[in-house]
Amino acid sequence: MKPRAPAPPLSRLQLRWIAALLACAQAPLILHMPAWIVALGSGLVVARIVMPERLYAPTALRRWLLPIFAVATAIGIRTQFGYFLARDPCVEFLYILLGIKFIEARTGRDGMLLVCLALFLSLAQFFYTQSIFAALAALPLLLSLGGTLAALRSGADARPWREQLASTARLVVQGVPLALLLFVLFPRLAAPLWGMPFDAGASTVLSDSMSPGSISQLSLSDAVAFRVDFAGQPPPPSQRYWRGPVLARFDGSGWHTAYRLQNGTPSRSSEFVSTLPRPAVSDPLVGPINLIATLSYDQQLFARTPVTQTVRYTQRSILRDSFSARDDNPRENLRLPRTNPRTLAFAQDMRGRAASDSEYIRALLKWFRDEPFVYTLAPGQYDRDPVDAFLFDTRRGFCEHYAGAFVVLLRAAGIPARVVTGYQGGEMNPDGEYMIVRQSDAHAWAEAMIDGEWKRFDPTAAVAPSRIERGLGAALPASEPVPYLARLEMTWLKSLRLHWDSVNYQWQRGVVGFNLDRQRDFLRDVGLDGARPWQLVVLAAAASFLWGLAVLTVVRLRRSRVDAEIALWRSACRLLGRAGLVRRQDEGPLAYAARASGRWPQWAPSFQRVANAYAFLRYGPPGPARGKLLRELETGVDDLPSARALGRAAK
Amino acid sequence: MTVRPADTQLVSVTDRLNVALGELGLIVVGKQAPLKLALACLLARGHLLIEDIPGVGKSTLAQALASTLGLQYARIQFTSDLLPADVLGVSIFDPVSHVFRFHAGPIFHAVVLADEINRAPPKTQSALLEAMEERQVSIDGQTRPLPAPFFVIATQNPAEQIGAYPLPESQLDRFLMAIELGYPDPDAERELLISGDRRIRIPTLAPCADAATLLAWQDETAAVHVAPALLDYVQALLAASRSSSGTGSLQGLHRGLSPRAGLLLVAAARAWALLEGRPMVLPEDIHAVFPAVAGHRLAGSTRAGAPLAQSLLRSVTLP
Repeated sequence: MKPRAPAPPLSRLQLRWIAALLACAQAPLILHMPAWIVALGSGLVVARIVMPERLYAPTALRRWLLPIFAVATAIGIRTQFGYFLARDPCVEFLYILLGIKFIEARTGRDGMLLVCLALFLSLAQFFYTQSIFAALAALPLLLSLGGTLAALRSGADARPWREQLASTARLVVQGVPLALLLFVLFPRLAAPLWGMPFDAGASTVLSDSMSPGSISQLSLSDAVAFRVDFAGQPPPPSQRYWRGPVLARFDGSGWHTAYRLQNGTPSRSSEFVSTLPRPAVSDPLVGPINLIATLSYDQQLFARTPVTQTVRYTQRSILRDSFSARDDNPRENLRLPRTNPRTLAFAQDMRGRAASDSEYIRALLKWFRDEPFVYTLAPGQYDRDPVDAFLFDTRRGFCEHYAGAFVVLLRAAGIPARVVTGYQGGEMNPDGEYMIVRQSDAHAWAEAMIDGEWKRFDPTAAVAPSRIERGLGAALPASEPVPYLARLEMTWLKSLRLHWDSVNYQWQRGVVGFNLDRQRDFLRDVGLDGARPWQLVVLAAAASFLWGLAVLTVVRLRRSRVDAEIALWRSACRLLGRAGLVRRQDEGPLAYAARASGRWPQWAPSFQRVANAYAFLRYGPPGPARGKLLRELETGVDDLPSARALGRAAK
Repeated sequence: MTVRPADTQLVSVTDRLNVALGELGLIVVGKQAPLKLALACLLARGHLLIEDIPGVGKSTLAQALASTLGLQYARIQFTSDLLPADVLGVSIFDPVSHVFRFHAGPIFHAVVLADEINRAPPKTQSALLEAMEERQVSIDGQTRPLPAPFFVIATQNPAEQIGAYPLPESQLDRFLMAIELGYPDPDAERELLISGDRRIRIPTLAPCADAATLLAWQDETAAVHVAPALLDYVQALLAASRSSSGTGSLQGLHRGLSPRAGLLLVAAARAWALLEGRPMVLPEDIHAVFPAVAGHRLAGSTRAGAPLAQSLLRSVTLP
C-alpha cells in the first residue's frame, strides 16, 4: 500500500457524526450524573458543533486552556466526593473528558481516540444498570462506534457505511465465542470491583419503621421484591410468610426496629435481606449464605455488607409458626406509651375475662372476625390515639393497622409481642417455575411470646382470610386501586409481563449473577472443578487460538476461492454500479472502463488503470509480473473516487 | 484504448499492421472496421466472405490488401459457365516437348478475389472451396501446394438477386468471417466523388510487408495467449448457440456453432488482439470478431446473422 498522507483533518460531516455518537454514549449516563457534569460534558460537544471555527481554533486555547480546564474539573469532582478513585468520580471525569477531547479534535487520529473513549463511556453505564435492556440498547451504539473506527482508520478510502457496518457486525459476531469463553472462564472476584455505597437499587424497600399507611403505600407497587427458586414443592399460600424487619418499639403511632438500640450501628433499610421465609430455624446458618448474612436473635437475616445489587443465595427454612425465645428480653416487648387509653382499658377488660394468654388471643381474633372490620387500602387518616380510633371508631384498616393494634392489645394485657413486617404470598411464574414476590405482597403480622416460644398470629387473616390464601387482589373489593399484576384475572398483558419477567430473571441469574459460586458450579458441571486458575487461563488461550485459527481459515478459503484480482474487480464494479453505471454481464473490463470514462471523463485514467491491470491479471499469460500487477490493481481500486463523488459528478 | 505492450517486438508488429491499415484506408475510404476485420481474417489464416451489392468496393479492398502487403493478386470473375479448370488450372499437351505441362489457374496466387461466387454452378464453387480448405490442389493425380500465405476473398451478391446459386451451409462454414461493407457514409462518399476512383492509386502503394513477413505475423498471431477463463467463455458461447431454442431475441437461429467455429473464433480473436497490440486475448477481442465469425453460421446470411450474434453475446455471462 502506498504511504498515507499525514493525518487528514476531520470533515464537518465526520465531526457531526462523531458528535452524535458521543451524545449517544453520554445519554444513558445522564440520569446518574450531577447536573453540572452533564451540562459541561454535553455542552462542550454541542459547543464544538455550534460554535464557529475561529472561536476555538487558537492554539493557545488548545495548548493551555483545555488542560487547565481538565485539571480544574478533576479538582471539582474530587471536592464534590471527597475522593477520586472510585466509580462515580471516574465516570464523571470520563464524561467531561469526552467533551474536552472533542473540542480539540482535529485529525482522524483524534476521531479514533474519541471513538475509543466513547466505547469506554458506553461501557460505564453497566456500572449503574445491568439490565437486559441496557445491554441490548448498547448494541447499535457498539456497531456504530466500530464502523466509525474502521471508517476513520481507512480515511479517504472508506467504504460506504452499510458495508462498513456489515463488516463490523461480522467482526462482533466472530468475537462472540471469545467473549463467551472469557465470560465463563474469567476468574470472578468474590465482590464486584465497583462498590456502590449509596445505591438505592437493592430489592427490598421494607423500612426499619412502620407507620400507618407505609405498607399500603408499598402495596401499590408492581415492582418485584425478590424471586425464589424452590428445591422442592413450594409451600402452600398460607405458609408463605417472608420474614423481614422485626419492629418491637412502639411510640404511640408508629413502630420501629429495636435493633438500632442494641448494636448502635446505623440501620438502613438496605441492610435487610428480607427474603427469609419465617421462621428460619436452621441455626446456625450453614453453607455459603453464612458468608453474606447473619441471623439475629429475633430471627432477622442481616446482610454482612450493605446490599448494593441483586444478591443470590441459597437457604434452608423449616416451616413452623413458632420458635424458641430463649435469647429474648421480654421487657423490651412489653413497653407501651401511655396513649390509646380506650385500647388499654379494653385489653385489660378482655384479659380479665380470659382464663389464659392463649385463650385471650383466641378471643381477640374472634373479636376481630366478628366485629365489622373492613380490610381496605384506603383506611383514612388517624391523628391522635390512632389505635383507639381504628379499633373503636372507623374499623377500616390495612394489614399494618391490624398487626399494630393487635400487638398493642397483647402488650396491654402483659403478653410480650412485636410486629413483624415482610411479605406474604407470591406467585409462581408458569414460564420459569420460580416464584415472584412483589412489593404489593408486603405484609405485617404479629408475634407473641407464649410459654417461652414466639408464635405467629395474623389478625389480617381473621378479618380477610382471602388475603392470606389468595392474595391482595382477592381480599380487596374491585373498586380499590389494587396494582394491576396483583389482580387475579390472567389477561394477555399480565401473561406477557410474566413472560418478560421470566426472561429478565434468567438474565439476572445467568448473566449478571454469574458470580464466583455459579462459576464454580458451572466448572463442576463440565468436569473442570479441580482446575487451577492457570490451567483455566491456558485452556482459554488455547480455545481462543483455535477459534481465531478457524475464522482465519474460513476467510482464507473464501478468498482463495475467488482470486484476489476478481474480488478487487468486483468491488470496483460494485462501486461504479452504486454510482449508476452497472456493468453488463457480458461486458469486458476495457469496454466497461471506456463506458465509465465516457460518463466521468475526469477519472478516465483511474478507470483505465484498474481495467488494464485487471485484464492483464485475469486474461494475461502467467508470469512473475503478477505480484506487481496485483498491487497496481489494489492501489488503482483504492484510488477510485467514492460512489458519492461519482454520483455528485454525474449531476 | 490499449494495454501496455509487454515487449517491443509486439509493438513493431502492431505498428506495422497499423501502417498497413492506414494505407488501406487511403484506398477504401471510410471502411476502417471491415478493413480491420479483413486483416484479422488474413492474420488468422482464414478466408473472407463479403456479402454485399456490387459497387461498394469489394474488389478494391481485395486488390489494395494484396498490394499493401506485397502479395500476388488474382481475380476470378465467377459466371454461370465457369468450370473448375478455369479456377484451378489445366494441363496442356506441349507438342514441342511431348509432355503435358501444367498451366496454373488464378488460384495459385496469394490473394484471390473470387468475385460473385454465387453466380457459378456448385461444382465450380466446391472446387474453389476445397482448395481453400486443403490449401493444395490435386490435378491429374498430382498434388500441388498453393502459395503461402493463401487468402481468398469471396464476394457474394445478396441471395435475392437473379441468377444466383446460394452457397450451401457446409460451404459457408469454410469462411472464417462473413462481413458486409455497406454504403459509405456521406463524408466518405463525398471524398470519393471529389477525388475519383481510388483504384488507380493502388499501383502507387508502397508495400508494407512481403509474404515471408506475413507468415511470421501469422505465427505471431497463433502465439497470442488465451486464458483458460476465456476458453470457458468461448465454450459458454458455443453451448448457448446450441441450446437456444430460437425464440425471443434469438429468433432465426437455426443451428448451433460447430467445433470448427469455436476454433476459428479463438484464432480470429487472437488476430484482433494482435492488431490491438496485446499479448493476450481479452473478452473485448471476442466481442469484436464474434458477429463476423458467427453470424453467417448462425443464420445462413450475414445480414440476418450479425444481430443474432449480438443477442447471443448479450445472453452469455462473461466468467
